[in-house]
Amino acid sequence: MNKTEIKSLRAGDSYYKLQHSSGLTIYVYPKEGYRSSYAIIGTKYGSVNNCFSVDNGKKITVPDGIAHYLEHKLFESAEGDAFTRYAETGASANAYTSFEKTCYLFSCTDRFEESLEILLDFVSDPYFTAQTVAKEQGIIGQEIKMYDDSPDWRVMFNMLENMYHNHPVRIDIAGTVESIAEITAEKLYDCYHAFYNLHNMALCVSGNVTVEQVLAICDKMLKPCEKHSIQNYFEDEPDEIVNPYVEQTFPVMMPMFNLGFKEKPVPLNEKKLAAIDVLLFMLASPTSALYRELMDHNLINNSFSYELFDGPGYCSVIFGGESRAPQQAAEMIKQYITRMKTEGLDRDDFEVARKSVYGDVISSLNSVSAIANTVMGYHFSDNELFAYIDAVADMTFEEVSACLSEMLDVNNCTLSVVKGSDTEAADE
Amino acid sequence: MSLCRQQIAEGVYFNTVRDSRFKTMKLSVNLFVPLSEQTASANALLAGVLSRSCQAYPDFTALSRKLSALYGADLTVSCNKLGETQVISVSASGLDDRYALDNESIARELSGLLCGVIFAPNLVGDAFVTEEVEQERRQLLDLIDSEYNDKRVYAIARMIELMCTGEVFGIRRYGTAEAIQTVTPASLYEAWKNLLRNSVAEIMYIGDSAPDQAISVFTEAFRAVDRRPCALHSEIVREAGEVKRFTETVDVSQAKLVMGFRAGTALPEKGITAAALMCAILGGTATSKLFCNVREKQSLCYYCAARYDKYKGIVIIDSGVEGENIEKLERGILKEIEDMKNGEISEFEINSTKMAIINSYQSSNDTVSGIESWYASQLMQDGFKSIEEACEVINAVTKEEIVAAANRLRLDTIYVLKNQEGEQ
Repeated sequence: MNKTEIKSLRAGDSYYKLQHSSGLTIYVYPKEGYRSSYAIIGTKYGSVNNCFSVDNGKKITVPDGIAHYLEHKLFESAEGDAFTRYAETGASANAYTSFEKTCYLFSCTDRFEESLEILLDFVSDPYFTAQTVAKEQGIIGQEIKMYDDSPDWRVMFNMLENMYHNHPVRIDIAGTVESIAEITAEKLYDCYHAFYNLHNMALCVSGNVTVEQVLAICDKMLKPCEKHSIQNYFEDEPDEIVNPYVEQTFPVMMPMFNLGFKEKPVPLNEKKLAAIDVLLFMLASPTSALYRELMDHNLINNSFSYELFDGPGYCSVIFGGESRAPQQAAEMIKQYITRMKTEGLDRDDFEVARKSVYGDVISSLNSVSAIANTVMGYHFSDNELFAYIDAVADMTFEEVSACLSEMLDVNNCTLSVVKGSDTEAADE
Repeated sequence: MSLCRQQIAEGVYFNTVRDSRFKTMKLSVNLFVPLSEQTASANALLAGVLSRSCQAYPDFTALSRKLSALYGADLTVSCNKLGETQVISVSASGLDDRYALDNESIARELSGLLCGVIFAPNLVGDAFVTEEVEQERRQLLDLIDSEYNDKRVYAIARMIELMCTGEVFGIRRYGTAEAIQTVTPASLYEAWKNLLRNSVAEIMYIGDSAPDQAISVFTEAFRAVDRRPCALHSEIVREAGEVKRFTETVDVSQAKLVMGFRAGTALPEKGITAAALMCAILGGTATSKLFCNVREKQSLCYYCAARYDKYKGIVIIDSGVEGENIEKLERGILKEIEDMKNGEISEFEINSTKMAIINSYQSSNDTVSGIESWYASQLMQDGFKSIEEACEVINAVTKEEIVAAANRLRLDTIYVLKNQEGEQ
């Protein structure tokens, strides 16, 4: 077994990366003086992996929403469900499915080893029958309908549908009531056996734990797993967006918008991520001239935000929030970006942004859940947390300026608006 | 962790928790006043205006840039209601001085800044700056409208409003849009003076270094005010008449059912622990009665949660459901409550829920915000309990007390938000 210590002088912390004999990659990030521990196991398998093959075998296409469905069903075994087992240890458990990964987690302040055993046990023990699969239809059906009524969710997916022609990131993570009706126990097993291979997974533990504790449980619970190759198929995705504008009428009183810029889906290393984070802060944080201008014209309120949204085969930058005049807000954002591209960024803005982004990432190391989730995310994108912190601290103005020149093409963006009917809201 | 509490002026307390485990410090000023129709909106607007600027940083951009240069420090305000008390909180948090890249003292700057936004705002004579007030007015009105965007939040707020019509608790935490419209820069100045004079003030500090400087600036600032802190009180309604039913229609794909109960006990009574535990067994965890039966066995919904408001003494159960299943869901929920009243609660349910609550208590000690809310949630009580003491109290609750708590529940109001019949 291979064990590496990863240290950061700046953060004053260190953690360990281990390659376990079973095939699983394990991270342990002890936090001195903490009472609680947080463990999360994840597989590099999310809603976008809907067409794949294993070891060059048959190409399998599965119904939309199946990764999320699998997440719900994995909690069950022939003996009962994992929540009942956790109830014996007092741990608080949960799970989530995103576009590119599925994760199972718990946090506890006592009986950590027992809870970790439960986690590793149910994740390696699928149990799907026609009956248990059918039972979930109603529950997930209501989860889907809850999201159908969520304007934040709709405004984002309408944007993605009008940005991506073919990439499955345009499809709702939970699928639709119709697509999940096609899910069977057999299809769940296909997905499980393809993606829940320990070589495709990672375990991150943070808090009141030691490497020895975690290893002892992993040695006991995990059997060596044969590595196989997973091929994911994505249709070719044009560089251009589908439509520049989409609008949906919704029962809302505050209209909302997402303005998404389609970016080239190249893998981003720590340096590039740091440069983009500093750049977006300079452009659109509350310290920026753009934010001030939007506010002064009553085009945004403090729900305004921005994010880099990237994963396998997709990358975009999204600005969004509530606005009574979304089209004017989007126009002002585009004009500002164009102006910055010609006139260049400001060096004082850069210094403020670098310190602020640095402060945010150091602050996040207070939280055992933030640590474990971040380390997991970096693992699946082949990055490392402390390298990112150093990249922010050492970022230069020139690197950020270079980043701006390659990104945010104002002729390749999509505006999505969700607004009330005329009786509910007056717009523009 | 342990709390050091000292009174620094009439009705002003400075609470310190020294902890070296965190990379950040946090300082918050919480001002408590009775919730009232006359003042709720002005106070809410005031909170926004105070956090925008101050004499030293007279506009929003200048203040934001100052905070960001302090390694992304945050200055946040919130306006909440705890029972029939309105709480305006202004807090500053930032990196601990150890992590500054250029050896600045972040803590010192932040305490000065926080004191400045509260005591030295950006004024023109005896009024706030008109443009600043207008910006915050617009944003507060937006915020009120945006609560309608989220139908779960909206449905719960409507149920409370309808259940508590005629009670102070029926007033929303921001008051009303109409009242917000009538506030002027001069009336806001009066609201500010009143808030400084009449509120009960609780200052919380969590950080590594000693907060001596913060204590001295706030002591000086509050001593300059003619303090007349008001009494805080929430009315407990223990009985309900005939169940009130309300249905509203809107174009949604999922119906919402919200049920409001009188719990028969609230702060400062001892019964709150048993009521909280009863409520968690009913619908507070992934092994609760509602989760196991209404969601897992009957597949009726994705969420069905029960929560107990210890300040007002009410229990709210809410769920999202297919329109045609509303009645089935209501019967399902009432059956679980009936079972609890009849003592159908297993040892496993009691013990596992106690453990889940204890786990959340103990975990709160590992974050700055967790420590803050641990003590902040007890500010309205007599004295503070440590986590260990609170765990002992939870563990001592008996099944009989839980059953008794269930038997105190009185269904008061049922609110349904759904589609027009037949629409999809």
